[in-house]
Amino acid sequence: MEHHLLFQPDDWTPLAWILGAPLFGAFFNGIFGKRLGKNAVRIMSIAVMAVAFAAALLTFFQLREMRHLGDAALAAASAKGGTPAEFGEPTRFTWLAWKWLSMPSGDGGGRLGIDAKFMVDELSGVMMLVVTGIGFLIHLYSTSYMAKDPGYHRFFAYLNLFCFAMLVLILGANMPLLFVGWEGVGLCSYLLIGFWFDKEANASAGRKAFVANRIGDVGMIGGMFLLAYYTGALDWDGISHNSQGLLQKITLIQRADPTKNVTVSAATLTGLALLLGCSGKSAQIPLYVWLPDAMAGPTPVSALIHAATMVTSGLYLICRLNLVFTFSPFAMAVVACVGAATALFAATIGLVQNDIKKVLAYSTVSQLGFMFLGVGTGAFAMGFFHVFTHAFFKAALFLGSGSVIHAMHAKIHDDVKSQDMRQMGGLKKFMPWTYLSMGAATLAIAGMPLFSGFFSKDGILFHAYANRVVHPFKHTAERLVELCAKNPKIPACSQAQAQLAQYWEAPSWFGTVLFAVGVLAATMTAFYMFRLMFMTFWGEFKGWAVDAHAPLAVDPFQNEEPLVDEPEAADAHGHGDDHEHGDDAHDAHDAHSAHAEGAHAEDAHDDHGHHHEDLTTPSAPPAEAPWTMAVPVAILAVFAVFAGLLYAEPLHLEPLGHWLGPVFHEASHASVRFKEGAEKLEIPLMIPGILAFVVGSGLAWFFYVKGEGKIPADLATAWPRLHRAALNKWYVDEIYDATVIEGTDALADGAALMDTWVVDGIIAKLTSALASGFGAVLRAFQNGVVHVYAAGIAIGALGLFVFFGRPHADVVTTKTGDQYVLEATPGLGYEYKWDLGDGKADQQYTTGEAALKRSFTVKQDETKKVKLAVKNAFGREVVREVQISNPKPAPSSSALGLPGAPPPAGH
Amino acid sequence: MNPALLTFQKLWPALAAGTVGAFVPRRSSRVERLGIALAAAACVLFVTMLWPDAVATEPASTLSNAERFPHLLSWLVFIPIVGGALMLFAPRQATKTVQWLTLGIMGAELVATLFLFKLTPTEGKYWIEESTPWIETFGIRYHIALDGFSYWLIVLTSVLTPIATYVSFGSIKTRLKDFCIAFLFLQGAMVGSLVALDLFLFYVMWELMLVPMYILIGVFGSTDRVRAAIKFFLFTMAGSMLMLAAILFVVLKYKALTGEMSWDLNDLQRLNFPLTTQRWLFWGFAIAFLIKVPMFPVHTWLPDAHTNAPTGGSIILAAVMLKLGCYGYIRFAMGLFPHAAHVYGATLAGVAVVGGILYGALCAMKQNDVKRLVAYSSVSHLGYVMLGIFSRNPASMEGAVLQMVNHGISTGALFLLVGVVYDRRHTRDLAEFGGLAKVMPWYAAVFLVVTFSSIGLPGTNGFVGEWLIMSGAVLSKGTLGQWGRSQAMGAALGVILGAVYMLTVAQKMFFGPLDNPKNRKLPDLTRREGIALAPLVVLIFVIGLFPRIFTEPMHVTIEPWIRDFNARVEVPPVELATVAPKPAAPTPTPVPAPAQGGE
Repeated sequence: MEHHLLFQPDDWTPLAWILGAPLFGAFFNGIFGKRLGKNAVRIMSIAVMAVAFAAALLTFFQLREMRHLGDAALAAASAKGGTPAEFGEPTRFTWLAWKWLSMPSGDGGGRLGIDAKFMVDELSGVMMLVVTGIGFLIHLYSTSYMAKDPGYHRFFAYLNLFCFAMLVLILGANMPLLFVGWEGVGLCSYLLIGFWFDKEANASAGRKAFVANRIGDVGMIGGMFLLAYYTGALDWDGISHNSQGLLQKITLIQRADPTKNVTVSAATLTGLALLLGCSGKSAQIPLYVWLPDAMAGPTPVSALIHAATMVTSGLYLICRLNLVFTFSPFAMAVVACVGAATALFAATIGLVQNDIKKVLAYSTVSQLGFMFLGVGTGAFAMGFFHVFTHAFFKAALFLGSGSVIHAMHAKIHDDVKSQDMRQMGGLKKFMPWTYLSMGAATLAIAGMPLFSGFFSKDGILFHAYANRVVHPFKHTAERLVELCAKNPKIPACSQAQAQLAQYWEAPSWFGTVLFAVGVLAATMTAFYMFRLMFMTFWGEFKGWAVDAHAPLAVDPFQNEEPLVDEPEAADAHGHGDDHEHGDDAHDAHDAHSAHAEGAHAEDAHDDHGHHHEDLTTPSAPPAEAPWTMAVPVAILAVFAVFAGLLYAEPLHLEPLGHWLGPVFHEASHASVRFKEGAEKLEIPLMIPGILAFVVGSGLAWFFYVKGEGKIPADLATAWPRLHRAALNKWYVDEIYDATVIEGTDALADGAALMDTWVVDGIIAKLTSALASGFGAVLRAFQNGVVHVYAAGIAIGALGLFVFFGRPHADVVTTKTGDQYVLEATPGLGYEYKWDLGDGKADQQYTTGEAALKRSFTVKQDETKKVKLAVKNAFGREVVREVQISNPKPAPSSSALGLPGAPPPAGH
Repeated sequence: MNPALLTFQKLWPALAAGTVGAFVPRRSSRVERLGIALAAAACVLFVTMLWPDAVATEPASTLSNAERFPHLLSWLVFIPIVGGALMLFAPRQATKTVQWLTLGIMGAELVATLFLFKLTPTEGKYWIEESTPWIETFGIRYHIALDGFSYWLIVLTSVLTPIATYVSFGSIKTRLKDFCIAFLFLQGAMVGSLVALDLFLFYVMWELMLVPMYILIGVFGSTDRVRAAIKFFLFTMAGSMLMLAAILFVVLKYKALTGEMSWDLNDLQRLNFPLTTQRWLFWGFAIAFLIKVPMFPVHTWLPDAHTNAPTGGSIILAAVMLKLGCYGYIRFAMGLFPHAAHVYGATLAGVAVVGGILYGALCAMKQNDVKRLVAYSSVSHLGYVMLGIFSRNPASMEGAVLQMVNHGISTGALFLLVGVVYDRRHTRDLAEFGGLAKVMPWYAAVFLVVTFSSIGLPGTNGFVGEWLIMSGAVLSKGTLGQWGRSQAMGAALGVILGAVYMLTVAQKMFFGPLDNPKNRKLPDLTRREGIALAPLVVLIFVIGLFPRIFTEPMHVTIEPWIRDFNARVEVPPVELATVAPKPAAPTPTPVPAPAQGGE
């Protein structure tokens, strides 16, 4: 068996190359990039991605090889009459880098090892190919897009680092290692959103993204602890082997009557906690708000991080832990609800946005919602398939929009205006390659039949309708109840019946509602995507006056990005001069490629200043992007068209579904059921999906091509408040500002004030005031005036006189066993009279040593009263009564709670 | 195989790292290249040699640690103290000489520290111990020892003190000799406190720390230095007085019960007090230590002290001195009064979460002075450490000790970085900055790395510590009562707030337009600052990526310690103070420990 494989499956070193290459690129570009120049950075960054992609391909095909062997073995086993199984265990290659951390688990005993160990199986294999493949294309695209940026080396260092972190996330063999990647991609996202950091807004957007993700991370951390606690493991294998532990109940609210306790299964809690993490990273309600702002980053970043890869990591996590999620039908239902709500909500905002990247951003949020809807209804493979197809068409759309912005920036140097679709129009004539690629991707996302998005989206919608997620033990319980019906004497019968009633399940209308919401969102998707295409590429160009005689620069292979490497200031000046020529096509290029620099290098910006008002003078039309930008978009578009054939359920073409089978079948088998009779509905249920495409695109055509934009304008004037609310994203950001952010701010204000005035006020300021107050009072006495001192002496002497003039009857008790000795304190001229309560009280006052002490016995549990009268030299008397009791020694016992039994020695 | 080839095989990672390191600097300075190459190679060597799974090349020595390295601990304590005393005779005007002498003494201390790595950790016992009578009339002994709690803290002290001193030479121009002497005494006293087992010796060392720090703040500090120095001194002193009273009570009780005087922790631990007495004594110790940590509500001296201390003083204060509070709490407050520590543990953990982690972070959000902000972030971070200690679970204790080291590195680096910009602009007001990343790219890069380590990004040191602490709090059964999980969740919320305030600082300082004309011409990190920061940045990643180097030696001590502690809590508190019999004279145990179950 081994001779088919080039490496040992449990020591698969190509994983080291896949991970190491981008890391090396990041290090190299970050440290040496600036001095070696842009060409070195470009070569290095593309080369490392090529190496990673090649190693990923090798790994993937070897994995396929091994899977075939496994399938063959399985088939042979079932032919021999063993248990027929459709899928075996997932096929795995692993590689242990080093042992990262070992953590004592619980109070005593074992240690939980968390290794830096990487694993590729069917699921991560596909993700790995997507990340390295699309990553490679986007690196290639960026070499041109960023060509004139002085932060070129920094950009590629971040981008390579991102690929590394993303691969750690995907390939990590345990939860904490995934979390390393999870936070790593968050860090890179933070750095890249704020890449042009001298704009306050960009830096704020980066911070917002990081903090929103941190809120999600609290869920992640909580989920990890719950997993560690209830399954005792954090690696994927351990979690799935011990996942039964998650069925334990956790008591949330304890009541006096234990049957009324509010309990929840550990799986539900874990699932919801992890969902919080996923909704941060994958931009779902309620944490989606960072993603639209993240568009402040360079467009290739939006394509790679905020569309194709990073934002899908939440989906990846749910797919990876599918067993944990299916243990709780409730958590699954919440996932589906969150997905459906996000899909619809984001789509409504996307309908009216005018910024081309904002439309795509909300579209991404909406599509991610579809994916959550898919996995939430138990269609893990289908949901993941949408991740796959979405990666292609959304990357194509973003990169295409990047080309458009790039072209617009040639004349419009304003970041906001150059992305405004109202400034565009008619670009299909000037940018045919981009138009065709984006058109194909639009058809795919809008759900044109036979395009990739059609199969993935309709698959999700169908499963949303047809799937029911049930408790994994329901099947067993049902069987038991069936048996009971025949043979009611089985002892576990009543129990099974009760169990069956306890399993939560979504109501029967749930699937229908999800389906309807999904179809509505899909209609909106088709509408806003075609709106984007029509506004951008059709109609008349509105950006600036186009010189009719200027040559069209439509061949991407003739448009070269000059890579100038010399001091940036000189570079920028060169541009300023070139612009004067105006009608040279190449020059148009030169200028728009400089936009990046213009956007953030202040000096360069000043140079471009005179172009701002120049839009009325006829000048060269926008130009097609150079091949390094156009070709990646085209490749992605081709995949966007055809990728659907990998999992076309209606055509019974399911290589991807079969490929992913081993990862999901255990959960699907136990927990996911079809509604009765749903199999027959597969074809009829496609009709609403196709209608959604037809209606959405038709409306867009009717509004923006036939009606030339008058109808939407009329609608906006008819319902101004509705339009404004949608345009302002339903004021969600403002609501968050007013509640969460202001609330935290108020808390912080309160804390800061309390710290200065209450805490420090009492402990430092008040004590120091008291001390200095005392000092002031005492100082008043130390004034050096003799008669004040004399008065003090007199008052003191009087006090002593009063004190000693009175007798003091003090008694000291000492105990030895039951024997007690009382001793009176001596005084000048004192006489004593004792009454020990035994009827032999002293009649007379006596003095001397003997009079001072009395000793006697007190039995246990007895109490005795002793009287002592004292007379002093002035003849004044005082009587003191002392009560002496001798309690039984209490049985020694501990009042302390103790932390469990002492742990066993050793570990 | 050829021995040369073998050596190469062993050393090639270090050589490779050295080669890469040699290429890193842009300036064509040979010294710099050599320095960075050596640092990179040394760092790789450090990791490979200390790697817990590394195959031992030499057979384990049959001699005990004390036989192999006699008086190692005394050397560690007295190199700086004697060095500081000798420095009194150094010529005041020869500043270069004074600087080199100081660094030389600290270098000698660092070399002595390297021998610590040669020690064999012994399970459940002190690794190396020295004990001789000191003042026999009062039973005072010179008893010092080292175990997994103090091991890394001593290393941290030896690494950070020279860094803090070295970087201060850039900004301290007057009274340099006094500054150096103060630093040397401070270092000696800190190491002394970390190894002292005799309560008298400990108290002497503990108080000895105060004096140099008082001088550092009061003489070399910024505008409000005298007030801050007095506040620092009074807060700490108030706690110390309570501790002194408690120490005297314990010692006298021991004398009353056994007839002989001893200040030795090992002897005094045999005392068993009634619960009420324990409570009082516990608070006497605990308040002293919690002021030092500092924990809510006795933390307010810290922001003032930090704001006014010179950069070097701030580094040492945050990086090492605060840790002595945590260390003292474990060693003495918990060691002497287990029942009281157990009773109050859960409550104090709540204070650590709400008053430390969350409240400290909220206060930090509202500070405009960067140094003050970092000081409040210390309050928040030490909340994690104390939560780990109160959870009293192997994971959380290891996390707590590791987090002490982490906080020393990250916050030390942050104070150093704030000092850098203060030296240039003489202000620490956030509103004065903005867009600095443009003029000081290296500075901004290092600051961001440290920021992310401080907010606990996985892969850096901060994550490992916080992870261990929080998982320990979740997994602790019984020590935190029913609140263990809520407290872990509260701690997790602190993670969000940490990101908020640290990233706000980063944004306000480095991003946005460079619109303050005073910032236009700021120079980037100087060589001195770069050299001082490099080891800290390297350590951030070394701890983050290879934490087992640090946790493995700890858990040899921590697990038996917790077992022993729990066993002591299990014994019910007595009615009247008693003293347990002395354990039998330690007999050498040649029999190895019984084979342990599967690892």
